[in-house]
Amino acid sequence: MIEVQNITKRYGRTTAVDDVSFRVERGEILGFLGPNGAGKTTTMRILTGYMPPTEGRATVAGYDVFTHPIEAKQRTGYLPETPPLYPDMTVREYLDFVARIKGVPSRERRDRVTSAMQRTHVADMASRHCSKLSKGYRQRVGLAQAIIHNPEVLILDEPTAGLDPKQIIETRELIRGLAGDHTIVLSTHILPEVAQTCQRVVIINRGRVVAIDTPEGLTSRLQGAATLYVQVDAPGVDATETLQGLPGVSRVALSDQRDGVRGYEVESARETDIRREIARAVVSRGWGLLELRPMRMSLEEIFLQVTTEETPEEAVSEQRP
Amino acid sequence: MNSVRNVLAIADKELRSYFASPIGYIIIGLFALLFGWFFYVYLTFFVQRSTGMAGMGGGATNINQDMIRYVLMNSAVIILFVMPMITMRTYAEEKRSGTIELLLTSPLTDVQIILGKFFGAMGLYAAMLLVTLLYMGILFIYGNPEWRPIASGYLGLLLMGGCFISLGLLISSLTKNQIVAGVLTFAVFLMLWVINWIGDQSGPTTRVIVNYLSIVDHFDDFARGIIDTKHLVYYLSFITFGLFLTAKSVDSERWRG
Ligand SMILES: Nc1ncnc2c1ncn2[C@@H]1O[C@H](COP(=O)(O)OP(=O)(O)OP(=O)(O)O)[C@@H](O)[C@H]1O
Ligand SMILES: [Mg+2]
Repeated sequence: MIEVQNITKRYGRTTAVDDVSFRVERGEILGFLGPNGAGKTTTMRILTGYMPPTEGRATVAGYDVFTHPIEAKQRTGYLPETPPLYPDMTVREYLDFVARIKGVPSRERRDRVTSAMQRTHVADMASRHCSKLSKGYRQRVGLAQAIIHNPEVLILDEPTAGLDPKQIIETRELIRGLAGDHTIVLSTHILPEVAQTCQRVVIINRGRVVAIDTPEGLTSRLQGAATLYVQVDAPGVDATETLQGLPGVSRVALSDQRDGVRGYEVESARETDIRREIARAVVSRGWGLLELRPMRMSLEEIFLQVTTEETPEEAVSEQRP
Repeated sequence: MNSVRNVLAIADKELRSYFASPIGYIIIGLFALLFGWFFYVYLTFFVQRSTGMAGMGGGATNINQDMIRYVLMNSAVIILFVMPMITMRTYAEEKRSGTIELLLTSPLTDVQIILGKFFGAMGLYAAMLLVTLLYMGILFIYGNPEWRPIASGYLGLLLMGGCFISLGLLISSLTKNQIVAGVLTFAVFLMLWVINWIGDQSGPTTRVIVNYLSIVDHFDDFARGIIDTKHLVYYLSFITFGLFLTAKSVDSERWRG
């Protein structure tokens, strides 16, 4: 549905986006994750035809955004970083204007405006001037504006920025609800958002793609080493030595301790599953095995790890359950 | 068909934005007031002269050539002062507030957006001129002026204003700050007006060049009631060229980011 091929964008001497490529399939939600200045907005502006790339090519719904801009734009809804509202229009007037320039036929316009307002929960603000809206409502009207012509593709630049927690949940639900008949690209630097909303993640840093995967795939792929959490009931005894002695274990760290129950983090190479060995070792010594589970790195840590270019070992060692 | 629809959508939005704030009413009111003042001055002058001449046995004077013509020529100068207020925000404000991102990512061509903005401003300008027709109505009630020179005068005003608008759009597209755009536009208009006087005092060659640059100069014949193709072509090509440069400016902005 969306295809980005080797896009590079230079502003004078600074390279904002450097040889970025990715694909988004129909009905998919793709998360665009990166720290400030990573090039998220720039990439989205290229995708929406706001500006051409210095090099490379992008197609939306089968149309090259640069050679067939009108066709591509007809099929794209875009929520820019700052919602593009006209302060002296009311919400309804504004959405009606947007519907007009997006080419919605005049007899359908009224219905589309009403339904967009309902879907984004701004109907109660219909006759309020845009200049008098709160940040959260501005964002929602921006979203209403993006979906007004029922586009195949939605490009949303930080759609939940500035919303309160309740609105964030509502907006994520709305976005998930739009997926399926819409293909969505959204940018964010809030990590749980990606895990909760997106099927695939592009992590971008300083203009370069660092990783593309599913949230689950990223978690295990970037983990490098597999870490198990083992909780042992062995009053007065430290199991570190025992665990360390098992084949395949590279590192053991005590992570918590309470009433003789100790929790350990056991690290091993990813390919080897050493759960059975651990269980056998613990039980054969007459200790109680209370818990044995793989530890997943949260996306947040992956993100930090990826974007700060830490080695995986460092990131994992800092982690606590 | 679609393109006409798009141009109208933008023009409609522009026109309504003038009246969403007091600015549209202020511009129309200000123009009507200044126009009215010139109208009054030239009318009393004309009445004095014609009654005086009648007393001396001189023939009737022509209200079209001796009064209306001067009123229209002076209103050209008022327009020069008022027009920056109309055009300064067109592009600058969209760039500042980020709404330009909406326009440039909508299925519109740059030319449609520019024409929409041009016709929106022309709409407000036409409303300004329309109000002044009330003054002309007074002349028709109490006198018997010829309508043709008045019509050609108004056509000239419309075209001349179109030149100012297209130039104003261009300047507005160069900056994010509408005040900068306004001041710059005013300065350029003033220069184009002053250039007239330079032309009058210089040699024949410079005079030709300078006169060609002077937008107001081409209006004189229209005010006299003469529609000369030379001036029509001049105004229309000036407008087209201004809009063309605006398109270039918008496009180059896009490349620079
Ligand atoms: N108009 C511009 N002119 C010059 N440099 C720019 C321009 N816009 C962006 N940049 C630079 O390009 C880089 C990428 O910016 P971009 O806005 O795409 O980042 P982002 O990922 O959207 O960041 P954020 O999370 O802060 O929104 C930054 O280094 C920025 O300074
Ligand atoms: Mg951004």
